Amino acid sequence: MAEHGRYLYAVCRDLDVEELDGLLGLEDAIVDGVEAEGLVGLVSSVDLDEYGEEGLRRNLESLDWLETAARGHDAVVQAAAALAPTAPMRLATVFRDDEGVRRRLVEQHDPISRVLDRIEGHEEWSVKVLTRSARDLGADGATPATSGTEYLRQRKNEQEAREAGARDAHATAERVHDALVRVAVASRRLPPQDPRLTGHTGTMVHNAAYLVPRGESDEFNAVVSDMSAAHSEVRIDARGPWPPYSFAMLDDQ
Amino acid sequence: MSNDVMTSPGRFAPAAYGDRPRPEGLADVLERVLDKGIIIAGDIRVNLLDIELLTVKIRLLVVSVDKAEEMGIDWWRHDPMLTVRERGLAEENEALQQRIDELESSGGADRG
Repeated sequence: MAEHGRYLYAVCRDLDVEELDGLLGLEDAIVDGVEAEGLVGLVSSVDLDEYGEEGLRRNLESLDWLETAARGHDAVVQAAAALAPTAPMRLATVFRDDEGVRRRLVEQHDPISRVLDRIEGHEEWSVKVLTRSARDLGADGATPATSGTEYLRQRKNEQEAREAGARDAHATAERVHDALVRVAVASRRLPPQDPRLTGHTGTMVHNAAYLVPRGESDEFNAVVSDMSAAHSEVRIDARGPWPPYSFAMLDDQ
Repeated sequence: MSNDVMTSPGRFAPAAYGDRPRPEGLADVLERVLDKGIIIAGDIRVNLLDIELLTVKIRLLVVSVDKAEEMGIDWWRHDPMLTVRERGLAEENEALQQRIDELESSGGADRG
């Protein structure tokens, strides 16, 4: 008989659990609400063979398992964020039972409330700036070299163009960031992502999250479009809205 | 050029729940659920430190440079793709230059 734990996805405020309407979480289990002093923890049952210490240790080594868990976690957070102020938990926050969840919510009530105050009514946008790929910046349309020196000269020019492109892209990224922080209430720079995971070409010179008031997404995206039009030397990739993951950190974290 | 501007709504996957669009990039999802969000201790003790230790391989995939501070003005120099490409090019240049020198000096010798 498998032992079960309670997986905590997020903590919401002013959420009517009925509105979740049979939402399914990880392992297709029903998502329930655990209430504590006005906060609602969103939980579902997970098999501790998979989500216990030993199971997690094994499973987290598998990218496929991690992807399923991450997307399942995110799906519940997204659904809740559409209904009420929602502070997402980090992946794999697992309790023995609802009483354990309730105890922790009471204990962390004030810090979690401050996070909810900060993110309520806001959503997150992810913006990346990428250089054009080496091919884009390279010898497009160059005539074939007819001599060794000609060949070397062409290669040197290509290399210089690439280096100048990367420097310019970085300066452009700063201008994009400066323009976006003016229409965001907060921003957080993130490390660039690996092309092996994203499949992107070119170099990611900027990756950041912006906290934008709900209802001002159009204005934010208008700035993205303006910057894209003004800086065709880079690609600007804006995605969202996300629940405000990047801004849901406790004060001491 | 406008097809390079990847803004909403064209790039979204269908909504899984409700009407909210869901961005679909795995790297985006992982960097949020692994690195962001509220950290509180659960009863299962693997949830904090162990994730940070056990997902080192995943982190290497999510983060292409070792430290965020390397995002300074020259972090692109550390892009392994770029570095390998530049190094290959430099070696190629050197070999060609050497060949040209040889040809030029032997040509000079013939005329002399």
